[in-house]
Amino acid sequence: MRLGVAMVALSSLAWACNHAKRPAELPPVAKNQLRSVADFSVIADEEERSRALFLEASRVFLHPRCANCHPSGDVPLQGMDMRPHEPPVTRGPEGFGEVGMECGGCHQDRNLELARVPGAPSWHLAPREMGWVGKSPREICEQLKDPKRNGGKTLAQIVEHNMHDPLVAWGWRPGHDREPVPGTQQDFGALVAAWVETGAHCPTDGGKP
Amino acid sequence: MSERFVVPRRAFLRGLNLAIGGLALGIVFPAEAQKPPSEPAKPPAPATPSGSQAADEPGLRPNVFVHVAPDGTVTIVCHRSEMGQGIRSSLPVLIADELGAQMSRVKIVQADGDKAYGDQNTDGSNSIRGIHENMRKMGAAARMMLVAAAAKRWKVRPEDCVAKDHAVTHVPTGRSLGFGELALEAAKEKVPDPKDVVLRPWSELPNVGKDLPLLDGPAYVTGQAVFGADVKLPGMLTAVIARPPVVGGKVVRFDAKRALAVPGVRHVVEMPTPEPPWRFQPWGGIAVVADHTWAAMRGRAALDVTWDHGPNATYDSDRYREQLSKSVSVPGQVARKLGDVEAALKSAARIVEAEYHVPHLPHLPMEPPVAVAHVQGDRCEIWAPTQNPQAAQTEVGRALGIEPEKVRVHVTFLGGGFGRKSKPDFCAEAALLSKKLGVPVRVQFTRADDVRHDYVNTVSVNRLTAGLDANGRVTAWRHRTAFPSIASTFAESERPGYDDLQQGVLDLALAVPNVSAEIGDARSHTRIGWLRSVYNIFQAFSIGSFIDEIAQAKNADPLDVWLELIGPPRQLSLADLGIERLKNYGQPLDKHPVDAGRLRNVIERVARAARWDRRKQEGRALGLAAHRSFLSYTAVVASAVKRPDGKIWIDEMWMAFDAGTIVNADRVRSQLEGSAIFGMSLALFGGITMKGGAIEQDNFRGGGRIVRIREAPRRIHVDVVESTALPGGVGEPGVPPVAPAIANAVFALTGKRVRELPLVKSVEV
Amino acid sequence: MSIVVRVNGKEHRLDVDPEMPLLWVLRDVLGLTGTKYGCGEALCGACTVHLDGRVVRSCVTPISRAAGKEVTTIEGLSPDGSHPLQKAWVELGVPQCGFCQAGQIMTAAALLKKHPNPTDEQIDSSMAGNLCRCGTYGRIREAIKKAAGGAR
Repeated sequence: MRLGVAMVALSSLAWACNHAKRPAELPPVAKNQLRSVADFSVIADEEERSRALFLEASRVFLHPRCANCHPSGDVPLQGMDMRPHEPPVTRGPEGFGEVGMECGGCHQDRNLELARVPGAPSWHLAPREMGWVGKSPREICEQLKDPKRNGGKTLAQIVEHNMHDPLVAWGWRPGHDREPVPGTQQDFGALVAAWVETGAHCPTDGGKP
Repeated sequence: MSERFVVPRRAFLRGLNLAIGGLALGIVFPAEAQKPPSEPAKPPAPATPSGSQAADEPGLRPNVFVHVAPDGTVTIVCHRSEMGQGIRSSLPVLIADELGAQMSRVKIVQADGDKAYGDQNTDGSNSIRGIHENMRKMGAAARMMLVAAAAKRWKVRPEDCVAKDHAVTHVPTGRSLGFGELALEAAKEKVPDPKDVVLRPWSELPNVGKDLPLLDGPAYVTGQAVFGADVKLPGMLTAVIARPPVVGGKVVRFDAKRALAVPGVRHVVEMPTPEPPWRFQPWGGIAVVADHTWAAMRGRAALDVTWDHGPNATYDSDRYREQLSKSVSVPGQVARKLGDVEAALKSAARIVEAEYHVPHLPHLPMEPPVAVAHVQGDRCEIWAPTQNPQAAQTEVGRALGIEPEKVRVHVTFLGGGFGRKSKPDFCAEAALLSKKLGVPVRVQFTRADDVRHDYVNTVSVNRLTAGLDANGRVTAWRHRTAFPSIASTFAESERPGYDDLQQGVLDLALAVPNVSAEIGDARSHTRIGWLRSVYNIFQAFSIGSFIDEIAQAKNADPLDVWLELIGPPRQLSLADLGIERLKNYGQPLDKHPVDAGRLRNVIERVARAARWDRRKQEGRALGLAAHRSFLSYTAVVASAVKRPDGKIWIDEMWMAFDAGTIVNADRVRSQLEGSAIFGMSLALFGGITMKGGAIEQDNFRGGGRIVRIREAPRRIHVDVVESTALPGGVGEPGVPPVAPAIANAVFALTGKRVRELPLVKSVEV
Repeated sequence: MSIVVRVNGKEHRLDVDPEMPLLWVLRDVLGLTGTKYGCGEALCGACTVHLDGRVVRSCVTPISRAAGKEVTTIEGLSPDGSHPLQKAWVELGVPQCGFCQAGQIMTAAALLKKHPNPTDEQIDSSMAGNLCRCGTYGRIREAIKKAAGGAR
């Protein structure tokens, strides 16, 4: 029985992959919104639900507002087209830039509307091992769970970080005319928490939000 | 306002006793004396930096440029604006050397705007090349008077005396008197008539041609140099202006309530709307005037303005490019003709043809335009980083409805000019506001204002066609060019004028029997100005790229093709060029010929320096280009490499430069180094685009991006040709060949031919 | 309400909009005009100063952030223009128009404090935020190395 459900789930996932779409039962969602955790109750299998929850959350992880500062190389990115940061900066030894070009030399703890410089407390780059650019949701998921690549965080700490971190929060209040990440930080935190509660399963290869 | 400001207009050198009435001295920059670094820097800008030297100070003052004080101090006026070319470290040296002064005892004072100095427009790379002789005469006149006074005192023949090392010496006896000791007596001597002034041979000018110290270096590195925005007057307010986004637009209505609510904002003022032609008029718009810059900026951001964008609201630079393309696809007005180019093209074994596009280009001086004005009664005083203080007098006078002579313009240091600060629109804005508000007003352009309200360099399309015979020799050369002219800013204009083609088209030395240059239609829809090297930028890019394309078509070495096309060393007459006249940057052709030998020479020298002939064995991708402009000759080789990230980097550049006689070797080299970077910026990144008539860029990003230190070549080698020819220009002629050399290097590296700037649109740089 | 800031060793008590960028406090309130306005968006570096020894672009630094901190501007880098960088800058004739040079020197000073003998790569990385329209980059590199050598 369990095997049967899993097979159905797998085949529906495969369908989702092939058609780059959600399983038919999830309600549609606007580009600037996130599905709520409740929307996922239609997926009966917990493991599959967990995967689907992560895929939904990865709409935030992979959004340029977030991914631009989770580059896989040493240079942060800018804009929806994810071009290299101008002026040219590199992560430096601690992710806070090089001497003379430190993140905090320009970025304040809040957005500057007139100068158009985005800001939030402790503005800096995610460590290289937390790079998301060019990675699949599955790869991001695995690295998120790996204490060696997530700054030694427990899953609970990851939930907390995503739900309350002020730098993460910037994604929803990017200032000027920047497009925010979808939904709210609360929605997002809830998705991550639900993902953890459902076993923190990672999407399969090719799984896309 | 001082009485001595009113200067009777007289002939330049003959008005020598203008002395009392005439010397309108400008700001004495705090570090104008070359103080040793150990001497404490003086406090920042005085509240009112005006002339500190009284014109009636005793001593010898044979003309408005030179004063010799009884204590031996020689004061020399620099009447051209300092904008990075090092003019204050160069031009006065000509006077001092003619005089025989020691530079350590020379004080340099910046001139206000005043016709007594002759033309002060610091533009067209003209300061040394245009007025070196006059400047030397100023020093020589003073020298002759000092010698006459000494000879009189010693009762000897003046011919037996020499002026050297700040003293006059009677050669037969060795007696000597310092300049200071002679100053008062010399002042009683008759000022020599200009035609009687005898110049020393160039070779006897001790400092000329040397590496001279950077006069203002200490002031720059301590923050003491006074730039336009550094002038602060008591009671001064600062204005930031919302100008119409489209040229010819105007305010329909505005709501100042929110702007006035910003703390520090005092006034919101509607500026007069200009009528075409635009000339140097302010743009109009709404000024927010505040206690300080920040409040003015915030106030402007809070303004609510509705604009009528006017007749240029449909201007789209991409679509316009297609129009220019059409212009050069049909025959135009012939400006240069040798032989029969059409027949030669018909009978050619092979045709090479290409079209090149260079967009509008921004000036982007590091210091955005800024001016301080104080209007009192029917007089006005201006402090501004202007390249042309007399144009500022005229424009401010026009705006206020007063005589230009009633406008006193103090020239501050310029944080870059590049042609933008020849236009005094920002001075007139400050004057209008000061008049209206009755207090001194500073108008500060933000960077966005600078970019959006620039006098952009014009946009162009050039179509070049060459006919090659069976042996690969070029038998026909046709150059069709279309670009809105600068003249369109001053009057109606449908196409470039004949003289506009002097910049690289009419004066191109070609050993080709059939040549034509044709002018295509091009109406302007924006405000065109001149940018460092002006039309030469796109003419050199087109010609320099095209010669490389001919080499490619012939499978020949570009160096050989350049030399073959230029032909043997010779000076070309108008007939040789196939043209009716050549403006020649204001100089007669007999003094400054079109010299194929000098162009060849710089090409050959730069090729040697860059090891051009070994480039293939050494696996280097080099590009070559050369150009004559401003009566000087420049050749450039650029080296292109691929960085590990796949981006192309111009890692090294060689320049050979012949400007004839030079004054300050170090500043000439620095101008060339700077030209390389300036040329790189426009080649790689520069490009102003317009949609709906408005400029899309607004800062140092996108088309406003300029080269940063990381993108700068590791080495720029500058080889200055030693020459006794008359001086040519220095500030601009280094720029034009840079872009084609880079594009040709990119071709050598990648095999991709890029025919439009900036390169970043076509390749990863 | 007033903000206390030390600038070049001197304490100032300021009654200004806490959002006012440090640049405009320096220039318009304190009359320290060596620090320049070039772009207002932290793109050009003309406004570079040190805040507690670290490079900041003063055009985007609200004065509130400088409260209780030490600001060093070009006027305070050395009492008499004798900092090794200032000397090297003059000796090598680095400046052209001079407008960006205070910012260049302030960034270079922070660089030398961290890396007394910087490599070309370190120079290019740290100085990448300071634009020079006149194109003095080659001489800037040389002068930094010269100053570093002098300090050795």
